Amino acid sequence: MDQLILNGIVNGLIVGGVYALIGVSLTLLYGVLRVVNFAHGEFVIAGSFLAYVLFSHLGLPPLLALPIAAIAFFAAGWGLYYVLIPRLSRSDDPELMSFLMFYGVSIAAAAGMLLVFEADSRSIDYTFTPISVPIGPIYVSTARLVALAIAVAISGALAMFLFLTLPGKALRAAIMNPEAIQIMGVDIVRLSAFAFALASALAGVTGVLVALVFPAFNAFSGPDYTIIAFIVVVLGGLGNPVGALLAGVIFGLAEQLATVFLPQSLAQIVGFAILVATIFLRPTGILGSSARK
Amino acid sequence: MPILPRLRDPADRIYYTLVVAIGGALMIYFALVPVLGLNVAFHFYLMLWITMASAFNVSSGFSGYLPFGYVAFYGVGAFTTAILVKKAAFPVFLALPFSGVAGLVLALLFAPTLRLSGIYFGIVSLALAGICRLVITNMPEEITGGSFGLQLGSRAHPVQAFYVMMAVMVAALAVILWLSRSRLGKALRATRDDAEAAEMMGINVPRVRLYGWLVAAFFPALCGGVEAWYTNVVDTETAFNTLTTAKTVIYAVAGGLGTITGPIIGSVVMVWLDELIWRQFPLLNLLILGLATIALVLFLPRGIVGTILRRKPQWRRYVP
Repeated sequence: MDQLILNGIVNGLIVGGVYALIGVSLTLLYGVLRVVNFAHGEFVIAGSFLAYVLFSHLGLPPLLALPIAAIAFFAAGWGLYYVLIPRLSRSDDPELMSFLMFYGVSIAAAAGMLLVFEADSRSIDYTFTPISVPIGPIYVSTARLVALAIAVAISGALAMFLFLTLPGKALRAAIMNPEAIQIMGVDIVRLSAFAFALASALAGVTGVLVALVFPAFNAFSGPDYTIIAFIVVVLGGLGNPVGALLAGVIFGLAEQLATVFLPQSLAQIVGFAILVATIFLRPTGILGSSARK
Repeated sequence: MPILPRLRDPADRIYYTLVVAIGGALMIYFALVPVLGLNVAFHFYLMLWITMASAFNVSSGFSGYLPFGYVAFYGVGAFTTAILVKKAAFPVFLALPFSGVAGLVLALLFAPTLRLSGIYFGIVSLALAGICRLVITNMPEEITGGSFGLQLGSRAHPVQAFYVMMAVMVAALAVILWLSRSRLGKALRATRDDAEAAEMMGINVPRVRLYGWLVAAFFPALCGGVEAWYTNVVDTETAFNTLTTAKTVIYAVAGGLGTITGPIIGSVVMVWLDELIWRQFPLLNLLILGLATIALVLFLPRGIVGTILRRKPQWRRYVP
């Protein structure tokens, strides 16, 4: 039993690292742009497919896919911003309409991936040597540990970016008060485009990690990750990047430990229950109202 | 009929003339579909989507909530009919009302979510639909049939199911017509626009919201039940398919929320388009549905009827 719990904790940390990244990118997007990206899971899965294509057709290992995914998704996000967002603000209720629009993006993206990659589940057969590493009495696959290390590194880099650099501070300021930052002379459109591009890049990179951590993915895996992103974002407080990182790890641990004690299919309910309970009991998230209500 | 008031106001006269004309045309057309040998399946689903989109309109157009887990009502309704017919040997006609009741019970269970607003409501609704699906998936196989679902066997009767679906649609539209002209409907709209002001005017905001929510939940549950009977098979994958929510929302928004004709016109146009696309490019169907949704939000956020009424605000009094 102890071994199972230890296994749950280690896996929880690994999966939690991925969840933290999924959540932090979605929360940045919501915080700065006030749009709800229902297609976030599809962005992530698109990253997994990119890693898959790079590996199976060009022989590039997943670690090299990381920077390529970051650049490609950054550019795609930048372009997508100008196609989708400026027009959206003309509707009566942009926040809710964004939910609907990204619903469409999600359907279209899943259908697009289905056309290209078909419905089969894919996985990347890349193996690290050694295949697994002992941690105390249990063995953990090297790929998952590498993914955890990358997730920690990216989170750290992101935190430094947000708190120590000027563009990062501008992003946080935009989350706290979008009006005031415009008075300070920041071009909110460019900053928003940057936020969208950054969130997309993070989602793409996370997708590569998803391919390392989880056994398989297919064109319809997106909504699962979107739900996870919502859980993490709500748990961490909407628009609170630090909260999202923390919430990702907490949720990863909760989910993996739940699979130890509950049957697999029932364990999924834990996530939904956390989401609903958070919204009712503590709508500002675990860190409270430090970012913004 | 109590819903027909003294029509002294000429605007009301035009309004009700339009109601009778549109309603009559719809009823005669649909009633003749099996008689004339038209495509029963296509028109069955057309009526189903009109009902779903119209009921959704009560929740989002009249009350201002966007339940992104709307499929929960549909799925629970489908399973209620299927379980009662298959496991408790109910006749279909007796089982269907229980589907509606199941929808109402579920709506009462979800009623606490009505104090949330905006995206919080949408996200919670989505999560609750997920919970419903998982709970039914995890029920013992003897009840819900596990991953194979339930087959209703020899009870299929497409033409009967067709006319029952039509009755459900007509009932839904009649209730919504009554609602939109009634005190309750006005209270709902007032609450949607400004809950605090509505409260000041003496409206019991939670109760009004709850009534609207119950109407919005009852009809999709019935739709689920009738569809289960029509297709003869129910499983969690299709009964709780998020695409059902997606189509409902898209069709309602395409026509325009807040009017009665909006979701009807939206459903007719979109279901017809969907069928056309499906026939021409079966593989591209989903892709085009997604792109159409994006285009809709970007270029026609108020829907067909909503856009017309914005151009011609003076027509607002005449259009149902």
